[in-house]
Amino acid sequence: MRVVIAEDNALLREGMVLLLTSAGHEVVAVADNGPQVLPTLLEHRPDAAVLDVRMPPGFRDEGLRAGLAARKEIPGLPVLVLSQYVEETYAAELLGGGASGVGYLLKDRVGRVDEFLDALERVASGGTALDPEVVGELLAQRRDDPLESLTPREHEVLRLMAEGRDNATIAATLVVSERAVSKHIGNVFAKLGLPPSDSGHRRVLAVLAYLNKGVES
Amino acid sequence: MRETVRGAQRATVHLLKSAGLSLASFLFSGILIFTAVATCLVIGAGVLPETVLLLRRIAGFKRRLVGEWAGEPIPEAYQPLTGELTVRVRAALKDPSTYRDLRWLGAHYAYGWALAYATLPLWIVGVMVDGVWCAALGNRPVVLPLIERLADLDAEWSRALLIPSPEARRNAELASRVQQLTDTRAGAVAAHGAELRRIERDLHDGTQARLVALSMRVGLARKSYEKNPDATEKLLEDAQNQAEEALTELRTVVRGIHPPILTDRGLVGAVRALAAGSALDVEVSEDGVEDAERAPAAAETAAYFVVAEALTNAAKHGGGDHAGVRLVRMGRSLWIRVEDNGCGGADESGGSGLLGVRRRIAALDGTVDVTSPVGGPTVIEVELPCVW
Repeated sequence: MRVVIAEDNALLREGMVLLLTSAGHEVVAVADNGPQVLPTLLEHRPDAAVLDVRMPPGFRDEGLRAGLAARKEIPGLPVLVLSQYVEETYAAELLGGGASGVGYLLKDRVGRVDEFLDALERVASGGTALDPEVVGELLAQRRDDPLESLTPREHEVLRLMAEGRDNATIAATLVVSERAVSKHIGNVFAKLGLPPSDSGHRRVLAVLAYLNKGVES
Repeated sequence: MRETVRGAQRATVHLLKSAGLSLASFLFSGILIFTAVATCLVIGAGVLPETVLLLRRIAGFKRRLVGEWAGEPIPEAYQPLTGELTVRVRAALKDPSTYRDLRWLGAHYAYGWALAYATLPLWIVGVMVDGVWCAALGNRPVVLPLIERLADLDAEWSRALLIPSPEARRNAELASRVQQLTDTRAGAVAAHGAELRRIERDLHDGTQARLVALSMRVGLARKSYEKNPDATEKLLEDAQNQAEEALTELRTVVRGIHPPILTDRGLVGAVRALAAGSALDVEVSEDGVEDAERAPAAAETAAYFVVAEALTNAAKHGGGDHAGVRLVRMGRSLWIRVEDNGCGGADESGGSGLLGVRRRIAALDGTVDVTSPVGGPTVIEVELPCVW
């Protein structure tokens, strides 16, 4: 898969290039500052873009903004945003309007090579990858709700669903059968009063919209 | 008639007290001469500030007396006499109020006695004339009220002599402002020091220790690499966990120093993020903060922590479901108001974050106003001075 990387820190950039090429991907271009990101993305139209939020010259949220701007030009361009810290607002902006093919992860997750590559591939194929910490914060906000009625296992399933995992991954993570996962998901949707939905991405959005009224607006 | 007598009595008491003060100032003149000589000889300059302080107390007593009589006290404006001896001596000598007080002391020595003496004949004549004149003929008393006029005269002269010049008043205002700034700066420096120590401890005990442990595991893994691949795998897994925990801790430390979202999105954006993350339904409004030039980083950080603390408290203790945050740019300050619809009764002494908020704001010379009647609502208003 053809990937564009936008990261201003040379160490991390080199590391990421190494990681992606050794996994068989092709890094077609790198950008090391904010203004460069959008033209690079438009020029190369990659299969996926890995963007750092904070880039020179302003060291604010240039990477995120460039990613959103590029997705306006190229609808559906898969974008995986990496950040030193998670901020729900950013997740909400990325996922706004029912967007697909987006990911938002902590930079630390790059260290878990397999999980990182899995997330990137998920995003590239139109799925979602949301950092567990964002999901955790969203869950923490809604304590007094039907969430309380979920069993611990259903809770775990909800968490993994919100991160954007598919049934097979959830089943593997929790060491249960896929059928059991489907049953849990059905229960979760019923308890939260959400219409059942099978497609991976729509499911994520439904769950996130439930968790945070702001995400879909 | 009875009222006239009572008024004359009051005036006489006032004038007698003044005469007593004249006597005291006569004794004080001895101290003055001693101080003047001692100061000229340099050796005894140490008594000068003490003498000036005594002079101020005498003048202060007179100011209060006049205040009691006329109903309106005479304002005072002195330079503070603090610090090292030379500084105090210089301040005492340079303060124009010192010379004003001395001038008054000399004049009052004369008029204090004179006015008190004048009451004696007035009483004698007054009792006879007014007693006969009024009691027999039913006319208004004419002599006894003059005693009150004497006291008025004393008040007038004293006011003219003791009222600080506009310059002295300005100086005293400046001096008290300097004192206040010195105090708050000392507070800010102390708070900053405590903050640095906290960060140092967090980095040292947390992150640094984890990195050492991580490095140790990598070292062990290298040693066991060939002989025991299974152990190596386990060590590397541990090492990665340590690295991730170190990163998590670093993020917490960084958030505590300066929330990254403030850098990214500015104060209004950061507060909106707080609002979005709150369990309450929070409405954020602003006036002139978002589009204008940004406030200094310290003010933004303090404002952010105030809102964060207030919203946390509202969600945790308030019991309401709605909160409003308003940020307004004033001429030379930033004004923040957080209001919730909770049950009120916020207890500041109960180890709540409000004390921390107060400290943080005081360090920046700002003011905090908390109103939280039982039954609610709780309103926190903060004004932070800042140059935009």
